[in-house]
Amino acid sequence: MKRHNKFLALGLCAALATTTLAGCGGSAGGGGGDSAGGNGGGGGDAGGKLTVAIWDNGQQPGLQEILNDFTAATGIETQLQVIEWNSYWTLLEAGASGGDMPDVFWMHSNEAVRYMSNGILLDITDKVNASETLELDKFPEDLKNMYTYDGRIYALPKDIDTVAIWYNKDMFDAAGIPYPDGSWTWDEFYDIAKQLTKDDGSQYGFCANPSNEQDTWMNTVYTLGGCVLNEEGKSGFDDPKTVAAMEFFDKLVKETMPPASTMSETGTDVLFGSGKIAMISQGSWMVAAFKDNEYIAAHADVARLPKDPETGRSISLYNGLGWSASAGTKNPEGAYKLIEWFASKDMQQKQAELGVTMAAYEGVSDQWVSNTDLFNLQPYLDAMDDVVFRPATKSTLAWWNPMVEELKKPWNGEEDMATACANITQIMNEKIAEEN
Amino acid sequence: MSTIKKGTSRERNEFMWGWLFILPTMIGLIILNIIPIFQTIWQSFFKTGDFGRGNIFIGAENYIRLFGDAEVWQSVLNTFKYAIVEVPFSIALSLVLAVLLNRKMKGVSTYRTIFFLPMVAAPAAVAMVWRWLFNTEFGLLNHVFHADIQWISDPRIAVFSIAVIGIWSIIGYNMVLFLAGLQEIPRDYYEAADIDGANGIEQFFNITVPLLSPTIFFVSITRIIGGLQVFDLIFMVMDKNNPALYKTQSIVYLFYQNSFVENNKGYGSTIVVLLIAIIMVITVFQMIAQKKWVYYN
Repeated sequence: MKRHNKFLALGLCAALATTTLAGCGGSAGGGGGDSAGGNGGGGGDAGGKLTVAIWDNGQQPGLQEILNDFTAATGIETQLQVIEWNSYWTLLEAGASGGDMPDVFWMHSNEAVRYMSNGILLDITDKVNASETLELDKFPEDLKNMYTYDGRIYALPKDIDTVAIWYNKDMFDAAGIPYPDGSWTWDEFYDIAKQLTKDDGSQYGFCANPSNEQDTWMNTVYTLGGCVLNEEGKSGFDDPKTVAAMEFFDKLVKETMPPASTMSETGTDVLFGSGKIAMISQGSWMVAAFKDNEYIAAHADVARLPKDPETGRSISLYNGLGWSASAGTKNPEGAYKLIEWFASKDMQQKQAELGVTMAAYEGVSDQWVSNTDLFNLQPYLDAMDDVVFRPATKSTLAWWNPMVEELKKPWNGEEDMATACANITQIMNEKIAEEN
Repeated sequence: MSTIKKGTSRERNEFMWGWLFILPTMIGLIILNIIPIFQTIWQSFFKTGDFGRGNIFIGAENYIRLFGDAEVWQSVLNTFKYAIVEVPFSIALSLVLAVLLNRKMKGVSTYRTIFFLPMVAAPAAVAMVWRWLFNTEFGLLNHVFHADIQWISDPRIAVFSIAVIGIWSIIGYNMVLFLAGLQEIPRDYYEAADIDGANGIEQFFNITVPLLSPTIFFVSITRIIGGLQVFDLIFMVMDKNNPALYKTQSIVYLFYQNSFVENNKGYGSTIVVLLIAIIMVITVFQMIAQKKWVYYN
């Protein structure tokens, strides 16, 4: 879900910061929306076309094919635009506050409730219930619930993603360690990571930034019996098991990873792709990008996340995007048709076949696994056996960002992990209490 | 009688045309700048709701929070550090360059173009290139100097590294302004100084600098304002995991974080009002100080 190049946001913000002293303050409301619309090239009506907005470049070619099929079948023209993750939300927010929004766009669990509860998204409940082609029972329950608010449906599931370990085969060979087959525990993982870390700093066993939450440490927390949000919907960071898991992860950070400064400067995927790192934990959404990386394509493969030594469970977080439409779209019929098109079995299958992402539709993701012979993607699919949905509350980002911010301190050795967990508990509970 | 009447009609005519010509700028200023200033100030007294709906008036609460917010004051300090390095260096270097390039020599326009090029490049692209130049692991700088300096992730030096990018980007622009100012200085002064036996350096400090002072004043006012508004470089160069971010983030960066990432536009507005206040105070001081050193002939 992370994209490091921030070009588009910059277009917006350079304009913002370089205008006169008033410009930067004043753009908070409408001004930001105007320039954002201009940069993204997207408005509500581009000559009667449906504008479709996504944030992942890697998925663009595949989705464009599906859109072409849609135009061929219905005669409705579409225009796909990719807006990098950070700018995407800035833009959507500005559009929702009184500008132009794209007609059809991706929704994420971080933001879904805020958009649904404010009536920004098109209510598609009646159309979904009247649909003859949709097979809603084929989609995961968590995912459908995520995009339902007060019993009304605002988005249809697009995909699912899980997490697995990528490992550098050459480094395992050189150290004489057999490739992981997914039967390992986190303790064994630690030993292997330690063995693969060289003292001279030329090679490290593992790497993760604090902001690699869903794809790294959160999986460890849930697998080792902890949680981010407990059953009462409050912070799980005061759970002793969460603290123990985070302290275990802290050990990984200190003993098997490059310095925090290196990881933040260069990015974990770049470090892995340049042969500095033996193992990396990544979400299935990165597969398309890794396929294009020559080094990774030639040297890496995938294994399932390690297990808890006691319970034997290996838990992966999972999440899924939704296709939603703007409540203010000029063409609600067309927008809904497109959403339905994306959620149909054929197109879910096509999405998997083209290697765009795993499908949300049950049972068609085998095609995604076989879309490439570069890597064995089966571990991602197997991970679906034992998953936890990415934690979300009404206003997820309000506590999510401070949580990541706080974790930077133990990562840099400025604070011990137990203190950080206590601080996070406090921040999270404060922010969650403010939601209601 | 008739002459007076004619005069008034011409005056009226000029008055009308004058206003007509500045109208587009005025409308732009009012809509894009002046109204938003007041909206921003107004908004800073609210706890803003999602998507600009359901704002709740909370009086000075945002300001009370602002004064107790260590992160804000750290960002003020960061911004000053940035400006204190960027502004004087960029002005001094571009002034020297402008003087060197303000004469007849081979390839002068080539040099001018080269120094102006950074200005043409998109700030985002500039920042991305520098981000990799500064990279500890793979960066050209550490490679060339065989060093292991964490240019952009060591909290002690990161803000200055960013300032270096700022200087590099702005030199060309300042240089063009100075060149324009230099063209205005009559050659006679230099000829007279030559006859009196003044060397190049004496001429520079006794003729060029005083006669160029209105331009220097203009550049320093605009550069200080621009420097205090630094955002794009930091946004592009500093990853959010960067350990130096806290000691690098500027006021506008914090404003962006609060307004657009955390969707707390009320508090974001409060931060930006602080910035406006700081800029106004500094600009007023500069206006007062100019009487001491700026010569208008």
